[in-house]
Amino acid sequence: MSTYDRGFVTTPNSGSRRSAMLSPLRRIDGVLLAAVLALTGIGFVAIYSSNLVALTTQDISPTVFVNRQLLALMMALIVLTVAVTFDYRDIRTATPVLYVAAVLLLIVTLTPLGTEIRGSQRWILLFGVQLQAAEFAKIGVLLALAAVFHEAKGQPRLAHVAGAIAVTVVPTMLVFLQPDLGTSIVFLWVLAVACVVAGVRLRGLIAMGVAALAGVIAAVQFGLIQSYQIGRLTAFLNADDPTIAQSAAFQTRQSLIAIGSGQFAGRGLFQGTQTSLSYVPDNHTDFIFTVIGEEFGFVGSTIVLGLFFVVVWRGLRIAINAKDVFGSVVATGIVAMLTLQMFVNIGMTVGIMPVTGLPLPFLSYGGTSLIAWFAMVGLLLNIHMRRF
Amino acid sequence: MTFIATLVVALFLGLFARLWFLQVLAGERYVELADSNQVRTVITEAPRGRILTSDGVELARNRVALALSVDRQVLFRADGQLRDSDAERVISRLAELLELEPSTVLQRLSSQRRSPFRPVPIAIDITPEILFFVRERQEMFPGVVAEYLPVREYPSGEIAAHVVGTVGEVSANELTDSQFSEYRGGDILGRGGLESSYETDLRGVAGRQLLVANARGVVLGVQSQRDPVEGNTLVTTIDFGLQTAVEQALRDGIESSRSIRRKDGQLLPSVAGSAVVLDARTGGVLAMASYPTFNPNEFVGGVSQDYWSFVNDPDNYRPLVNRAIAGAYPPGSVFKTASAAAFMQAGLITPSQTRRCDAAFTVGGTTFRNWNRGVNEGPMTVVEALFRSCDTYFYDLAYENWRSEQRRQDGREYLVEVANRFGLGVSVGIDLPGAVNGRVPGRQWREEFWLNARDMYCAQAAEAQPGSLRFELLDDLCRFGGVWRGGDAINSSIGQGDVLSTPLQVAVSYQALANDGMVMRPHVGQTILNPNGEVVQEVVPERLGTLGLTDAELAAIKRGVEQAVNSPRGTAFNVFASSPLFSLGVAGKTGTAEVRPLVPYAWFAGYAPMDDPEIVVVVNVEQGGGGSQTAAPIVRTIMEHYFGFTDAAEETFSPGDEILD
Repeated sequence: MSTYDRGFVTTPNSGSRRSAMLSPLRRIDGVLLAAVLALTGIGFVAIYSSNLVALTTQDISPTVFVNRQLLALMMALIVLTVAVTFDYRDIRTATPVLYVAAVLLLIVTLTPLGTEIRGSQRWILLFGVQLQAAEFAKIGVLLALAAVFHEAKGQPRLAHVAGAIAVTVVPTMLVFLQPDLGTSIVFLWVLAVACVVAGVRLRGLIAMGVAALAGVIAAVQFGLIQSYQIGRLTAFLNADDPTIAQSAAFQTRQSLIAIGSGQFAGRGLFQGTQTSLSYVPDNHTDFIFTVIGEEFGFVGSTIVLGLFFVVVWRGLRIAINAKDVFGSVVATGIVAMLTLQMFVNIGMTVGIMPVTGLPLPFLSYGGTSLIAWFAMVGLLLNIHMRRF
Repeated sequence: MTFIATLVVALFLGLFARLWFLQVLAGERYVELADSNQVRTVITEAPRGRILTSDGVELARNRVALALSVDRQVLFRADGQLRDSDAERVISRLAELLELEPSTVLQRLSSQRRSPFRPVPIAIDITPEILFFVRERQEMFPGVVAEYLPVREYPSGEIAAHVVGTVGEVSANELTDSQFSEYRGGDILGRGGLESSYETDLRGVAGRQLLVANARGVVLGVQSQRDPVEGNTLVTTIDFGLQTAVEQALRDGIESSRSIRRKDGQLLPSVAGSAVVLDARTGGVLAMASYPTFNPNEFVGGVSQDYWSFVNDPDNYRPLVNRAIAGAYPPGSVFKTASAAAFMQAGLITPSQTRRCDAAFTVGGTTFRNWNRGVNEGPMTVVEALFRSCDTYFYDLAYENWRSEQRRQDGREYLVEVANRFGLGVSVGIDLPGAVNGRVPGRQWREEFWLNARDMYCAQAAEAQPGSLRFELLDDLCRFGGVWRGGDAINSSIGQGDVLSTPLQVAVSYQALANDGMVMRPHVGQTILNPNGEVVQEVVPERLGTLGLTDAELAAIKRGVEQAVNSPRGTAFNVFASSPLFSLGVAGKTGTAEVRPLVPYAWFAGYAPMDDPEIVVVVNVEQGGGGSQTAAPIVRTIMEHYFGFTDAAEETFSPGDEILD
């Protein structure tokens, strides 16, 4: 799997230590970074538009969300720089520390130190900032899985698979208890993809699939999954029925109206009635895509999808070119997570997926998510830079 | 890796396809949904137009009523549920205050008739005490407001109630009808009378505001606004003073006649009645009354259970029915003007020829007696036959007419044809709902009636005891019921048998006589004014047709009804002889219609002054005995009022004491 990177001229083994450290920077994947920054930029416009009228009518500055998100973006850029600067192999060695820290944060979230909003305990207040520990846990789980499979060197045995399951299940359970069904599913998805990439054989994959299915049935059977959760998950199927007052169906219905009414070219920036009159709840966070769909139409939606596709394409390319199992599992895991979240989130807004609380990466309002995704983009760039 | 790449591409394509469908293929539908999402319509009711008498008295107007209303946005969530337990407590406090069940309060609040942006009235005409109670404790009644609402009012109450009608809420059934496509749930519309027939003029145009609102229901702006347009004013031909006098005369006449004893010693029942006064030249209705009557105010804003059972109780003789246009009775002798015209038109008799007025007329073994029971009055002209109201004279002509029609077989039926020209048995086109056409029967009617009823007769005959009278009758009806017989023609000629007419139709038939044979369409509406008082539409007197009689024929009939009042041998002479009207000259005809087994129905139809008629008056009293006994005195009182002879009769109403048909 050798490739030639057309974008950059490489000069291996140049003399000074300083240039040795800096040289990988010249191999940074500019296309990936540009796509991510473009998505983030579109996100800012959408966040501004989403609450423009609502905030103005309440005599609140319309930039209040944008300003907070800008602060998060600065943090995110710093985190990205850090994630790029250190050799990812050093990050691998630090994985246990990072993983334990992430799990601890999840535990703290569930204690009275955590904050409950709308029935879910998902946030902790740290240094005056609301943090969503689950976003960091995604990175923790990903790194841990990569580290476990890295030990297997392409031939995972039962012990490796068991270890992988163990490092995933603990945070999954913690997140599930918040409850945050969506993120739990993301963890299990990352586990599955990591197993495939690490070379777990078909037998094992099938066995895990069966076990997972049995687990889900058992969870429903013993009432671990609340009936309101099942109701939320199935509500989108009846979104067209206006007699269903259920909030999830209402949300989906309004979301469909917003996106559909955008038609081909969109209603124009700040011109969407569904957006400006707050008909779509959570339209700056989970339902940010409705703003894009309504105001920029099919054209804008396609551009956003296209940018995501670029990120996924570059990510897969990085995974393929990664020089070790750790890098390839991390890169694939990030791409898989991104694809899943994007599909589930946009799918939810267009009524083909259930309403779960998964934000749209890079675009949804929410500092922790933005920082975590920039960290993962940093990891991708890192793996790409140090692929030789 | 290929697997993952394929999966990723598939997911992207899935989203792409879904977006294509939503935004490009189905986009327009969602644009409509988005538009209807943000725009809320607020309807403001237009004040209904007034109904006035010709002399400017308000028969219907709008009153401003104090109502207690609830702003639903304060107490309810967007999904229609109460906001919280505080809201529940407000509802129960309101229920207690208004002495209603909490469920009733909720039911009134859940009505879809009003926009969520307008307070919903839950009690109209509240007492000032209730208002003060709420105002002083406003913190206990969040969202409860007092407002003034336009409410229909009938200041004269029962006066002209049947003519004016009343209003009610449009029903769920009517809303599904395309005729009411412009109505929305909760709209008020006319129920009966002019309120109903002039609905489109009176209704006005509701105001409409299109508001832009956000998801929380907060109004952000007005997209368009149309102010309500008040309904037009209807000026009627009704003369308020005359109407009042007619209602009083009818009521007094009916009630005082109940003290008259019949030959069998029983008191006259005189259960109900009606009166019509027409302008003899234009056909305009100057007064129209029906007894018993009702108060239209009782129906505004929903009728009470008590009042509803009162007006529907059979013992009260259906006060809601306007008997003047919806009561179809055998006309009895008042029909003889039409019969006389028909037999002259058929060429059976001329105004100068005479015919016998025997005590009885026998045909085919059946004897038909004259009303005077046994006196042979000798040969007489058509004039005398009318003022003596000789039945046998008409029997003879009717039988001859029947035989010649049987012979000719050309299908012409003179009595039906001519009576229809008089406005009998056909629609006279009055601008009031619920008018019936009555019936002038003939061969064609008989056959159609029999074809519909034959199976029933035959089935009943099959069940009856063979040889019994009942069997003979039913068997005859089963086999020959479609035959128009001589006896049928004889009965019809004196307004009996199957003949039915409304008092209005009888009035039209006498108006035609009074107006030299010109039949005018009776009407109540005269002019329609817009809210600024400008004339929008004027009802021009309209000709329904002419009687088509020769001058001599018309003169003979008029002479007959003049002599009925003015000749000492006339059937109505005694009633009018003592009245100051006598010198003015009244023409009229009594009628005593048999409705076995009930007491006969009393009729009088007349006009005055007889040389230059101004008004036509018709009175009918159900089970009122003889026409000269009960109906004629009421007509006399009405005419005395109209011509200003008020001191004579108004104080003491005196019914006639003699039964003369």
